[in-house]
Amino acid sequence: MTFPGLIVLSKFRKSSIPFIAVLIITSAPAIARAQFLHPKISKKETTIRNVIILPAKVSVVRDSMKGPEGMAAESEDLSGRVEKMLATVLEKQKNVKSLNTAGASTGEGDQQQKYSIADFQTKFDDLLPRIMKKRSDVKKARFTMGDEVLNMNLDKSVDAIVFIRGQGQKLTGGKKAFVLLVGGGAAFLNLQIGIIDARTGEVLLYTDPGFKGLGDPTTAVDSLRKALEKGFKKLPVVSVQ
Amino acid sequence: MSNLKIRPLIVVALCSCIALTSVAPAALAQKKTAPVEATPPPVREEFKFGKVDVEVLEQVNLLDRRFERDGIVLEDEATNAYLFRIGHALIPAGLTLENVSWKFRALRDPQPNAFALPNGSIYVSTGLLSVIDNESQLAAIIAHELTHVMRRHTYMQNRSNRKKFLTMNVMAAVGAYAPGGIVGVAIQAITMIAPLIIVATIFGYSRDLEREADLKGIDMMISAEYSPEEMVNVMKVLDRDIEGENIRLFYNDHPALRERITYLSSYLGGRADKVTPQMELNREKAAYFRTLESLMRHDVQLQINGGRFRSALYIAQRLVDFHPDSENLFWLAEAYRTLGPRAPQLTEKELTNSAKKDAAKKHEKRTDEEMERELLATAAGQENWKVHQQKAEELYQRALSADSPVAVAHRGLGMLYEKLDRRADAATEYEKYLEMAAAATDRERIQRRIENLRRPPQ
Repeated sequence: MTFPGLIVLSKFRKSSIPFIAVLIITSAPAIARAQFLHPKISKKETTIRNVIILPAKVSVVRDSMKGPEGMAAESEDLSGRVEKMLATVLEKQKNVKSLNTAGASTGEGDQQQKYSIADFQTKFDDLLPRIMKKRSDVKKARFTMGDEVLNMNLDKSVDAIVFIRGQGQKLTGGKKAFVLLVGGGAAFLNLQIGIIDARTGEVLLYTDPGFKGLGDPTTAVDSLRKALEKGFKKLPVVSVQ
Repeated sequence: MSNLKIRPLIVVALCSCIALTSVAPAALAQKKTAPVEATPPPVREEFKFGKVDVEVLEQVNLLDRRFERDGIVLEDEATNAYLFRIGHALIPAGLTLENVSWKFRALRDPQPNAFALPNGSIYVSTGLLSVIDNESQLAAIIAHELTHVMRRHTYMQNRSNRKKFLTMNVMAAVGAYAPGGIVGVAIQAITMIAPLIIVATIFGYSRDLEREADLKGIDMMISAEYSPEEMVNVMKVLDRDIEGENIRLFYNDHPALRERITYLSSYLGGRADKVTPQMELNREKAAYFRTLESLMRHDVQLQINGGRFRSALYIAQRLVDFHPDSENLFWLAEAYRTLGPRAPQLTEKELTNSAKKDAAKKHEKRTDEEMERELLATAAGQENWKVHQQKAEELYQRALSADSPVAVAHRGLGMLYEKLDRRADAATEYEKYLEMAAAATDRERIQRRIENLRRPPQ
């Protein structure tokens, strides 16, 4: 006994799956995401001139036919690259300077400073799921990390602290073929970036840029730069004095 | 025509082969292949490193370095030396393992947790070190983790998972190209159900490895002359669930704590020829607290930072019980102040699995400050806050009147009064704090608070 409808569906699926997969993968290289600004930024009551970028935590896995495999070394490299590229984008597009302070961007410094930074990174990790749950509430000034941020004893000229998180996936050759033939998730890189007021701890900006495709997110340079540029489009440009 | 009939048959045969050779045996043979025998040898001698295992080793070596670099490892020589001593007492004499270099370290994490990396790094969280009672309980945890390394559990699990993931992907491919008709429907049904069974076997295998680590851990404790019944007691400690976070899910990679207590007790039944007298355990407890007192204080702060206010109170109370009239009073005061309108303990109703799931969902949506405001709007919340602020104030005062007054108690009082809107008192306490602690790292933060408090309210 056969069901004609099922045969049609089956034939349609067989012929169309690879085509649809290729279409989806090639037509959506960048994920368009929104940015959310604190009223102090959107109303230009506060200006971000100098920031400290804390060590990024970007983790990428290699998805193979035998499951996901860690890419610790590549993730480390990518984290560093995202930090540097973000600093460049902020400086070139927005005139925002990234300052380098001991312990902040190198992760070194004395033990207390090391603990202090680690604790703030953890605090951001705790807050992040709540921000992601309702990103638009950043516009209502709902999220803060508290005035403990002052305990980091950063340079007086620092206006904000930048936290970067990210997850990515690279496909092995076998998995790429599998995705083309059967379907499945493409390679991607999703970032979550929060800018926190260095004096009050308020979340001043939240953005989650990213991109996807069949390439390698750990080595993609242009896609990353474009995603970051898009991700900070709404941040007002600082006038050069 | 015949072609059309043969094709579905080939696909059915292929699908059945996969289902019979991988899924069903994986589920059925779980008991056969997974190491559930009572006393397996301490080391998996037959283990040979393959390319995949070397890759895993490289990943964990990097992870080790990252923990250190990111300030997650507690850099306290005394604590790490203490963990090292216990670890080495448990490792069989003369044992050397390929690609294993033993390291025992405390992790700055308020969650009660411990884990082993296959390269021989054993991590115990400050959250766990602060809730256990004695060295034997710590030895139980380390013995469990050592078994994971010695029996090469991470590598075994990784190898097993890879085979299962490959099976799942092949099944997905078969499902996508299934022919039409009833045969196709049957194939799609099989390929849809099979991944669920495979995932169940992944978790089942993990639970079996955990069980093996528990049982071998007891053997190691006996060999090192630690009280083996403390393995059961440490499970009971973990079962306390102060924060209501032990949620039972559909799939679990560890056996349920109650189940672990049952099988450990029954395994121990025949071997517990010596049950340690209570007096001896009390002595052990005092020695344990003396060694880890400063770590526990550090952990109270981590608990507060992590919004684990009930755990902070529990640990601070233990510290005061052990060593009253000391800096511990300040930590108990901090715990009461930050506990705010929350009840010190969860009720039985709040500890049901569904209530814990609801609370976790709520916690994901609301910030700690929002939850506190909600509680303060209730009569019970207000009553709790009243009691806790009184206790905190009294404890801060006691900490200040001790032989060596703790400057931070002034800061705590300042924060308490600020919350009570006693602005002038708060500013005065902050000023006293800065006067006593000239090199305070939070000077700028407190000065800003003083400025705000001294400014006339708008």
